Amino acid sequence: MAGNAITDVPDGSTAGRQLEVSWLSPIGMTGLSIANFIYRLFTLGIYDFWARTEVRKRLWSAIRLDGEPLVYTGTGKELFLGFIIVFGLVLLPILLLSAGIILAFGPTSPVAQLFPLALYVFIFLLFGVAIYRAQRYRLLRTSWRGIRGSLDGNSWNYGWTYFWTFLLIPLTLGWIIPWRTTKLQTLITNDAMFGDREFFFKGDAGPLYGPFAMLWIGVFAIYVGASLVFAVAIAALQHTFGLDTLSPGGQLKPEIASIVAIGTLGIIAMAYLLYLLISAWYRACIINHFAKRTHFEGAQFKAKVTGAGLLWIDVTNILILLVGALLLIIPLSIAAVLIVAVANSIDATLLESLLGPDVKIRFAAISVPIAIFIMALSFTLLLPVTQARAMGYFISHLSIEGPIALERIAQSTAGQVSTGEGLAQAFDIDAF
Amino acid sequence: MPSEIPHQRFEARLSDGKTADAQDVMVELTERGISIRLPGSHDPVIWQYGALSTSEPLTQHAIDALVTYAHQLGATLFVPGPRFARSLATLAPQLTASAERWRSARPWLWATAALIAVTIAISLTDLSPARTMAMMLPDEARQTMGRHMVTAMSQGHRLCETADGRAALDKLTAKLSKAAKTESDFRVVVVDRMLVNAFATPGENIVLTRGLLEKANGVDEIAGVLAHEMGHGIERHPETGFIRAVGLNAAAELFTGGGGTLGSLGVLLLQFSYSREAECEADDHALRILRDAEISAKGLAEFFIRISKKGQLQESDPVNLLSTHPVTLDRLAKALRQGGYKLRPALSAKDWRALKSICGASDKVQVPKSE
Repeated sequence: MAGNAITDVPDGSTAGRQLEVSWLSPIGMTGLSIANFIYRLFTLGIYDFWARTEVRKRLWSAIRLDGEPLVYTGTGKELFLGFIIVFGLVLLPILLLSAGIILAFGPTSPVAQLFPLALYVFIFLLFGVAIYRAQRYRLLRTSWRGIRGSLDGNSWNYGWTYFWTFLLIPLTLGWIIPWRTTKLQTLITNDAMFGDREFFFKGDAGPLYGPFAMLWIGVFAIYVGASLVFAVAIAALQHTFGLDTLSPGGQLKPEIASIVAIGTLGIIAMAYLLYLLISAWYRACIINHFAKRTHFEGAQFKAKVTGAGLLWIDVTNILILLVGALLLIIPLSIAAVLIVAVANSIDATLLESLLGPDVKIRFAAISVPIAIFIMALSFTLLLPVTQARAMGYFISHLSIEGPIALERIAQSTAGQVSTGEGLAQAFDIDAF
Repeated sequence: MPSEIPHQRFEARLSDGKTADAQDVMVELTERGISIRLPGSHDPVIWQYGALSTSEPLTQHAIDALVTYAHQLGATLFVPGPRFARSLATLAPQLTASAERWRSARPWLWATAALIAVTIAISLTDLSPARTMAMMLPDEARQTMGRHMVTAMSQGHRLCETADGRAALDKLTAKLSKAAKTESDFRVVVVDRMLVNAFATPGENIVLTRGLLEKANGVDEIAGVLAHEMGHGIERHPETGFIRAVGLNAAAELFTGGGGTLGSLGVLLLQFSYSREAECEADDHALRILRDAEISAKGLAEFFIRISKKGQLQESDPVNLLSTHPVTLDRLAKALRQGGYKLRPALSAKDWRALKSICGASDKVQVPKSE
């Protein structure tokens, strides 16, 4: 076992080093976010692969072992090719097959109705595979002092476990989740290597069940509470307005409907915040527990994250993303209002004589998709800043306990890959 | 350049990449590259600037640098302190963040510019790849597409069919088909839906709604609408729309990173609307067909006037005829100008009555004005 590694040192002269883990907060992430955003905008989003790569280079570099940075050696081109391959081999065939089935059997035929179901099962089977492969790519592209990481196992094995344990979640009312998380963590960590040395994880889900019970009861309470608040609110509305809430068509009147919509959103937001609160605490338990059970060359990881810490990072990160989006949406909206006002103040016939017929429709046909594209991107404007904060919090609360004989760690012999993460990218599985 | 070179020495750590161990070295930035002096060795190793890469692109915020060298794979040189990193950025400007970004984005910026240029070229000329493909589709495929679209559109509603009504509809269709001079005849069905609508589907299929028949002020209106939809069919607009939708969907997946839009094609089938140009083409065909069939174009014109008035259509209709068939003054004027040929009734009064009640007796609320 890994625990004996140190005593194996032949002459006993090198007992190994105590490695210090630290986080050197990257400076200039906001500038990077803006530069990446502009490049993504002007390349119709394709630059995303390179943008992501530069962010990772910065984040990895902020993680220090004994003051020396981890190095991310992946490239944007690899991510791009990985995605293109998955697009060609998975997404495009699925799209064409869907079109073909609808054409051949008709949209209402049983085949066309069952096909999406089969598709979702297939895609879900690929989900775990995608997670594993993305992790493998990242480890292969992570090095410290030139020594690479790797993930030496079978992604389908992981994918299958991910799939069948997921199916059991509803059947067990969620109670399989701690066991499942531990199982998946066991699979992936025990496959992980740094150089030619293995990580070792022996976890049991037992200690997680207490916190999970709290989470489970909490979620249940939130659900019941939110439903009650909702019911009371509806009853109050009806009491106040009586039958006036309905328009002749039997539907809610628009003004009432908007009150209901805003109220519903408010209740959902409150419930979500409460959920974040409880789940942050549960996640902190998982992280600390898993770190404690992870060993490398006799050393043991130790994490001291707290629920409050995670919650603070989560909530402030959401606010940062919102601010980023507003920074874009507000000027964009002002510009749109001004353009419409100017266009309306000019005589329509003059406008058409200058710029051709239907100029307004043509302008809208071009500008509306662009505006939607920018808005969709806007929520990711400050994403790198939030990623740095999340990773920074985790790394600053992580340590390695016990000496590691660095000179014994030789370069990894694991096979290399030439493209990265296509599947994960396609399914939007992505932390960084 | 040489004047800028500080010739300062820096403490650094070099790893050979064979084990995770490292040794302390002294480095110096020289004209030729980074000079690395190993302890106990006289001749320094030179890492040339052109073959260097750094773990992260160099910026003005850099606080240290981790350098690798293309001709000594696996080896890494870590130099703490911002001075080395900033000097290196001036000596090897290709390692700066802005240079790296520009290098990787440049091909895509060109590609985007080219794409925009091609799009503009396509929209300025009459090139339409989707239409070319639509024209090449085999008839059988078009028929199948059309049948399924009819099924999808009439989902949840029955198809109207009475012997007299069908005979009258066939009579009208045959007359217009003959005037349209198409290779294959059009097939028309009536769906029992109260919204006012008509649409062409691939493979010379046309769907009319019960609402359209019942609200029509005369058979000439129906003849006009049918001729217009035939125009869409002749120009293969439905097929083109479908191919374009599939293509756009694929492109959207490519740009958005996939996911989400899968399997929504069934919805797409029902959604597309025609451009103004397509409507004009269909109108031109309609007017030609009506002239050759000796039917007045006034019906079509009246229909345009009627549907462009507010209140005639339920605004909550999922498929609103007004939004899919925008009426413009041009179109109206063209239909009103048409004339100067011998007119004959499109159908006899008896046949028109049969057609109008093809869905059975109309609801009391919806009684149309009598002729």
